[in-house]
Order: sequence, then structure tokens, then C-alpha cells
Amino acid sequence: MEFRETFVSALRTLGSHKMRSALTMLGIIIGAGSLVAVMSLIAGLNQSVTTQFQSVGTDIISVSKFPWVQMGSSEDYRGRKDITMHDSDAIESLPSIGLVAPNIHTRRGMSYGRESMRRVRVSGTTPEYETIDNYAVESGRFLTQFDVERRRQVVVIASEVSEKLFGLRDPIGKDMQIGGKKFVVIGILEEKGDIFGETLDEHVLIPITTFRKAFGSRRSVVVDCQPADGVSMERAMDDIRALLRVRRQVPRDKPDDFAVNTQEDLTASYKQLTGVLYFAMTGIVALALLVGGIGVMNVMLVSVAERTREIGVRKAIGARRRDVTSQFLIESVILTALGGALGIGGGAGIGVLVRVATPLPAATTPAAVGLAVGFSLITGIVFGVYPALRAGRLNPIQALSYE
Amino acid sequence: MLIQLEGVTKVYEVGTEKVNALGGVSLSIEKNEYLAIMGPSGSGKSTLMNVIGCLDTPTSGSYRLKGQEVGDLDDDELAEIRSAEIGFVFQTFNLLPRMTAFQNVELPLIYSKAHRRTRAERVWGVMDAVGLRDRAMHRPSELSGGQRQRVAIARALINNPSIILADEPTGNLDSGTGEEIMQVFEGLHRAGNTIILVTHEEYIAEHANRIIRLHDGLISSDERGVRGSSLGGPVGSAERV
Ligand SMILES: Nc1ncnc2c1ncn2[C@@H]1O[C@H](COP(=O)(O)OP(=O)(O)OP(=O)(O)O)[C@@H](O)[C@H]1O
Ligand SMILES: [Mg+2]
Repeated sequence: MEFRETFVSALRTLGSHKMRSALTMLGIIIGAGSLVAVMSLIAGLNQSVTTQFQSVGTDIISVSKFPWVQMGSSEDYRGRKDITMHDSDAIESLPSIGLVAPNIHTRRGMSYGRESMRRVRVSGTTPEYETIDNYAVESGRFLTQFDVERRRQVVVIASEVSEKLFGLRDPIGKDMQIGGKKFVVIGILEEKGDIFGETLDEHVLIPITTFRKAFGSRRSVVVDCQPADGVSMERAMDDIRALLRVRRQVPRDKPDDFAVNTQEDLTASYKQLTGVLYFAMTGIVALALLVGGIGVMNVMLVSVAERTREIGVRKAIGARRRDVTSQFLIESVILTALGGALGIGGGAGIGVLVRVATPLPAATTPAAVGLAVGFSLITGIVFGVYPALRAGRLNPIQALSYE
Repeated sequence: MLIQLEGVTKVYEVGTEKVNALGGVSLSIEKNEYLAIMGPSGSGKSTLMNVIGCLDTPTSGSYRLKGQEVGDLDDDELAEIRSAEIGFVFQTFNLLPRMTAFQNVELPLIYSKAHRRTRAERVWGVMDAVGLRDRAMHRPSELSGGQRQRVAIARALINNPSIILADEPTGNLDSGTGEEIMQVFEGLHRAGNTIILVTHEEYIAEHANRIIRLHDGLISSDERGVRGSSLGGPVGSAERV
């Protein structure tokens, strides 16, 4: 029988049992939908993470008390000693290390005139921070060695702070309050955007010496640095690790009680995260398609039983086994294909919603759609084959006398 | 010889019991015969029709259709013979309810892979022959019993079969409508078709020019030329076949 006739006849039967067909498709809709939705989210994550990693810089080594990405229980991190300015100086004196920028952080309220902001991130650091951590000054200037040596009450503010406190006025040269202390604005940073959903533009930078005097010196220091020219990241990291283990008297058989972070740690943990997502998705999709497939098989078996007489008639007027088999197979594939299409629509819809409602640039990729289409069709074939073969093998006389 | 049966038996096994539906039937039928099969219920009439119609194969004995031995054929080869050589008309019409009369009649053409362009023309041809052109786009549920049986006859005719097999075609119709259907068969016979029909009614059987009586799976009588008068009888719309 020609494909077109089979197709039309299959549509006709499915159309005459709309409710049943719709319920049968549900599993496939959920399977295909979650596949497309999750893959859209992952595509969005990939894109935003790529841009965010670029803002961190690829050759930065960041030495801190705790790692960027904490694995295991918090027990493992308890009772660690702070990293000090002396540690920072020692790292700076390593021959394999180039630029070094110690930095410390807190959150403080700040104001200018009647405008104020609460809990803004305040960082104390040195001029090298601009290069190592990829900061760009839009107007005015960055911190200088002179500011640090003299513990000057100067501040470089990020774009949001400038907008919120100063509005249309030019902040350069103005006095503002940070944590109850007076600072002169010397520079404004270019916009940096978000990282992991948090803005980088509510931030002010002051000399590290000023910070310690104004907000206290009993804080662990983060040491951001770069390898010296011609030195590999690995070599620089090994040297830092060896140095700090000695300085902090870590016993030979104990692991580091500090962290040497690189962008690679972020990439690795990101990969782990998406791996988990993929794994969860595979589970959901497999389950949904299995349930959907069993539903399809059940409905097709019912349909074969209901139409036994029809099958007998078709055989009596000349249908061969494969004519009948292909008719039922096409019906089950249409069922799953339709379910797949609806699911893809829904999944893509979720992607659009996420893109509109959240900062995540979720995007439905052709690969996701292709995969969903493929899985839907395969489910239709795999679970439709048995009922279809059964229909094809029916004995015409028995089928014709079926009540 | 169109049809040649020699010692055909059909044994059904139900559990441990064996039912001899046909006990050794020998029978020859020539082209353009009009044959009625009669006999009490359970005598094997339908079984014989199924064998002749290649829906079933004999348990033993030989059945040759146009010289070809049918017993050795597999499912798909039987299907192809049914498609090309046989037209079935059933007591309960057996039209597909979701299709229009037109689509029901067209269906055998699809299985016999007739070219799409010639299909509609052929369907209209047989619809005219059974006088149902104006009902072609109705579904079976919108047709009377007589009209449904006409559609079924049109479907049986569509592939120009060598044999038209009708198992109690008037069994579900009142006598008036049954008579109209018999007129259609007569027209078909006159146009050169071979017709085999099963019936319980003598007056229906009298339309045929040969009557076979079955008893317990065996032929008990075979009469020819019982009645030729119907050839001169009133002519229905089937005249145009
Ligand atoms: N599929 C089957 N399985 C077992 N026995 C069968 C089967 N089909 C027919 N029979 C038996 O074979 C015998 C002949 O049946 P058949 O249907 O040919 O009779 P019939 O002459 O057509 O009767 P009726 O006039 O009632 O239609 C009966 O005894 C019947 O019970
Ligand atoms: Mg019968």
C-alpha cells in the first residue's frame, strides 16, 4: 500500500480517538519536552559561563584560604589559618611569579549626599589588581602605588555605584562616605556584567593599606598573581604550594590547608555540574519515553484488537502482511511524532520563558530538536513493532469472524 | 477450467477434537458460471467459500485456480491472488465505517497498486454499475442496508476479479432489497463474471444456473440448468456493467 494512503488512514483513526491519542502521547510529550528544555538551559549556561570565565582571565592564579569550589564537608576547612600580607610578600619574591595583587574584602554601606547603598562589596588591593583581574577604568584613574604607600582615602567605584549614588553628576573628585569614612572618588570602572547571577558592578576598590586601617587588618588575604614571563601555570602553582606549605608548617602527610585556584577549577566544576544535569536529563527522558512507549504499545494492542474485523476485511480484499503491519506501525509513529512535536514546542517554550525571565540566555539548538525528533520516532517504531506485527499475522478468517 | 477442487478436506482442530468441515470435495467450475451453494447450517458452505476465495488452504486435496495449485502458496501469495482474482461480498457487508463509500471501493485498488490517476475513474465506473454515484461520498452509517451491499459489490468488482464470492449476500436484507441485490448479480453474470453464492433460500438459489448442495462437508447434489428463466427477467441498473 502506498505511504500516502497509509498515512491518511492512520491520521483518520487517530483522529477518531482524540482523547485516547492525546493521553498516549503524554509520556512522549514529557520526554521530548524535558530533553529540549534541559538542553536549551545547558546551551544557555554554556554561553553565559563562557563570557563569565572570560571576565576572570585565563592566566590568573588566586591563592586563598578556601577554594573557589568547595568539595566535601565543611569540616575539612575548619580551623585554617589566615593568609597574611607576609605570605603575599613571600609569593611576590618567588622568581617564577610575575605580578601579584593581594586583596581583601568586606561589605559596607556607602552614601553620597542623600543617596545611599547598603552592603556594597569593598575591596582593598594594589595597582596590579587592574591588570591581573581585568579591570578597565572608564574615567579618572585606577589606584597607584602612591595611594597604597600613603594610605590615601581614595576610591575607584564600579558603574552601578556611580549610577546609583551620583546619577548624572560626575563623581570624580567628589567626597563620599564608605562605612562611615570619607573617601575621594578618583576613578570609575567600566561595566563588567554578571557572574553566576551576581552583578560585578556594585563594587568599590580602595588601597589595601587604607582598608586595613579603616576596616581592620585581621582578615585573610587573597593573593591574585600571574606566572613570570615564560613560566608555566603548573610550575608557578607548584612553587606557591611548596612555599606556603613550609610557611604554614603543613606536615608532609597532610593535604594543603590553603587553596591555589585557577580558572580551570571553575571549568572543571562547571563540567561536573552540566554532567550531572545531562545525567539527570537522560534519566528523565529515558523514563518518560519508556512510559510513553509502553502507553503507545498498550494503545496499539487495544487498537489492533478493536479492529480485528477491519484487518480481516483488508486482508480479504488483498492486503498483504506488510500492508497491515506498516499501517499500524505508521500509526504508532505518527502518535509519537506528534507527541514529540508538542514536546519540542513545550520545551522550546520553556527555553524562551527562561531567557525572558532570567539572565540565563537559554537557547533551543537544532541538536536538541534533532535528538528529540529522533527519540520520538524511535520510540514509536520500537514500541509499535510488536502490535503491528501481531496485526499483520492475524489469520483473515479468524479476524473476519471476530465479534 | 477456472476452478478445480479434487478431494479437498478441511479439518479444524478445537482442543483435542477434530471437526471435519469439508470431507473430500471435488468440484469444477468454469468461467462465467453462476453457482449457488446450499445446505444446512454447519454443512461447510462458508468453509468451501473460504478455500475457493484463497482465505484458507485445504488440509488435504488439491485446489487449482486457473491451473495454479493454491495449497503451496504462502500468506502473501494468497493475498496477491485475492487481490487480483477474487471479489468478496459478505452477509454483514464489512465496509470500513470511517471511510466513505468511495474510499471503501477504492481500497482494493490501493492494495493492488493501481495507478493513482486511474483509480478515481475506475471507482466511478463501478459506482455507476451498482447505481450509487450520488451516494459515493457518504459513510456506510448513512446508507441503507441495500445500498451498503451495493457498495460492497462495487468493492468486490473494482479489480475485475475472475470470481465473485458472496456468502449469504441477502441474509441481512429484507426480501425486496434482497431481490434488488440479486438483480445486480444477474447483471454481473450476464456481463461475463463468474459468481459463486451461498444461500439458505431456494428462491435466491434459483437465480443461479447451477446449484450445489452440501451435507456434512460433502457434496450431496450438483444440479445444472435449474432455471434459465431469470436471464430473461427484469434488468436492473446492473445492466451497465
Ligand atoms: N475456525 C473454526 N474452528 C473450528 N471449527 C470450525 C471453524 N470454522 C468452522 N468450523 C466448523 O466447521 C463446520 C462447517 O462450518 P461452516 O462455517 O463452513 O458452516 P456453514 O455451512 O457456513 O454454516 P452456516 O450456514 O451456519 O453459515 C461447522 O461444524 C463449524 O462448527
Ligand atoms: Mg456460513
